[in-house]
Amino acid sequence: MEKVLVQNKMYAAPGEYTAADLLAVAAAREVNNDEVVFAGTGLPVLAVMLAAQTTAPDCKVIYEAGTIGSRSTSLPSSVGDPRCVEGCSIASGLLDVFDQLQRGRVDLAFLGGAEIDQYGNVNTTVVGDYLNPDMRFPGSGGNNDINSLAKRTVFIMVQEKRRFKEEVDYLTSPGWRVRQWPSGEWMHRREAYGKKFLGGPSAVISNMAVYRFDEETGRMYVDTLHPGITEEILQENTGFTLDFSRCRGETLPPTHAELDILYEVVDPEGIFLPKK
Amino acid sequence: MRDKRYSLKEAVQMIQDGSMITFSGFTIWRRPMAAIYEMLRQEKRNLHLIEVNSGTHTEMLMGAGAVSIWESCWNGHELYGKVPYCMDRKIKSGEIIVEDYSHQHILYRMQAGAAGVPYLPTWASRGTDILNPEYDMLGKAGLRDGKNPRIPFQKFGYAPDPFYNEGEIILVPAARPDVCIIHAQQVGEEGTVRVMGQTFSDEQAAKAADKVIVIAEEIVPESYLREDPDRNLLPSYIVDAIVEAPWGAHPTGMYGCYDVDGAFISDFATASKTESGTQDWLDEWVYGVGSHEEYLDKLNVSRLMNLRTNSFYKYSTRAKRGSN
Repeated sequence: MEKVLVQNKMYAAPGEYTAADLLAVAAAREVNNDEVVFAGTGLPVLAVMLAAQTTAPDCKVIYEAGTIGSRSTSLPSSVGDPRCVEGCSIASGLLDVFDQLQRGRVDLAFLGGAEIDQYGNVNTTVVGDYLNPDMRFPGSGGNNDINSLAKRTVFIMVQEKRRFKEEVDYLTSPGWRVRQWPSGEWMHRREAYGKKFLGGPSAVISNMAVYRFDEETGRMYVDTLHPGITEEILQENTGFTLDFSRCRGETLPPTHAELDILYEVVDPEGIFLPKK
Repeated sequence: MRDKRYSLKEAVQMIQDGSMITFSGFTIWRRPMAAIYEMLRQEKRNLHLIEVNSGTHTEMLMGAGAVSIWESCWNGHELYGKVPYCMDRKIKSGEIIVEDYSHQHILYRMQAGAAGVPYLPTWASRGTDILNPEYDMLGKAGLRDGKNPRIPFQKFGYAPDPFYNEGEIILVPAARPDVCIIHAQQVGEEGTVRVMGQTFSDEQAAKAADKVIVIAEEIVPESYLREDPDRNLLPSYIVDAIVEAPWGAHPTGMYGCYDVDGAFISDFATASKTESGTQDWLDEWVYGVGSHEEYLDKLNVSRLMNLRTNSFYKYSTRAKRGSN
């Protein structure tokens, strides 16, 4: 793919982009140039491909199933897709890339989840009591490992009261204040990880806001509200009391250039972004 | 030299009810589907699956009532179905024991099995419910009593780092499957395996297992594979049976051969929302089909040709994927 310089900074107006577009764009803006980024299937792939075309042309992407530095000309629908192999520098397997993660090589990773609490603990496993579930979800996959061992993680979430919860039904993936086993004691992530502390969740991007974390208290706070979203609307869609004290205002909407790249270069087939 | 060529039916007959099984591939990619369908036709029961991750094949086995224990970290159909409905139903009915790990855990369990050591240490998953002793489901079922040599005495262990004093580390037990079923692009006449594209966790899974069955798109002379030995994944002596079954990974996708059949997986995922839908689907596509060849006839040539990969790109440039 041709590297496209984004010089046109004209922002799109509400109605000219979807919530998914803003999610992808906000996620891509989290990538710093030259970082090693780990991505699983879905919006993360979209975000890293957009980042490589815009803000972070020199980022190094590791796909979870075992490809490194892909230069795909066609959007992978999954990290197992042969499209991930196109132009990559290494095609290996999961053991290779998860070892690199544990070794501390990964700067940033994108993740999703069904539920999240104010400490960034995420559930991708079950709704209801684990021993008597209401609904079973796919499970951890690499979510747990990645959130345990990447220096920064960014979660892409749907904003709903039942998803942003006081306490998650099952703690699949560790945030800033976690439950240490076998004792069951709640403690700060730094204490739980000790010498193997590498970092933790740095942002949550929902379809309504961007959140960041106070690393001392471990609590999430609102960083920016998406255009059209008020504090009241956001609080109504959240299951715990939100901290707006550090809110910087409105999330920057996508630029026309970013949208063009998303729809014409990254996902022209409409795999993750159906036509508006 | 012993002839390792078998028919699909004969190879699958080597799998006993109650066996611990693992597979090649990743989610909806390069799964040994022809063998899965044959396992269902032969009505295998009480299978103990241990997988780095699961997928459509797992949901089919679960939906058919073939699975009693699942140790893994993920199950679903990726883009084509987010919820593992068959597993959801079987957990609720108490027909399946589910033991949740993480990707790194199961990878290290396989690697420990492959390396012949009883466990490996990892830092992954501190502070999460995966380590919650209340959720040790095989333990709760009383199956960690040593009677089944493939079920370890504990789900996890912990040990202080004796070398660099980095604190207490998590230990995961070796996986010791009875059988690994691999689907590969090529296998040699003696059993050397060549996998093209990503190898996922096939190497660890095959080497951990006692018996390895390889289904391949084609069986080729060993001399051909020996021209480029750096492209081969598994040595012949760990492979017990080889079967030639072109398109044998359909509907999952395979590098350089055929793309994933998203519409087919989506149809199954939708049918799997109900018990009767699942049974109807299995009746039509598994029990109502006598063999792999009949399955391919039922799929029809134009469907398959649409999935066939471009020899440069290694994926299909014709298969429709998105909504545009």
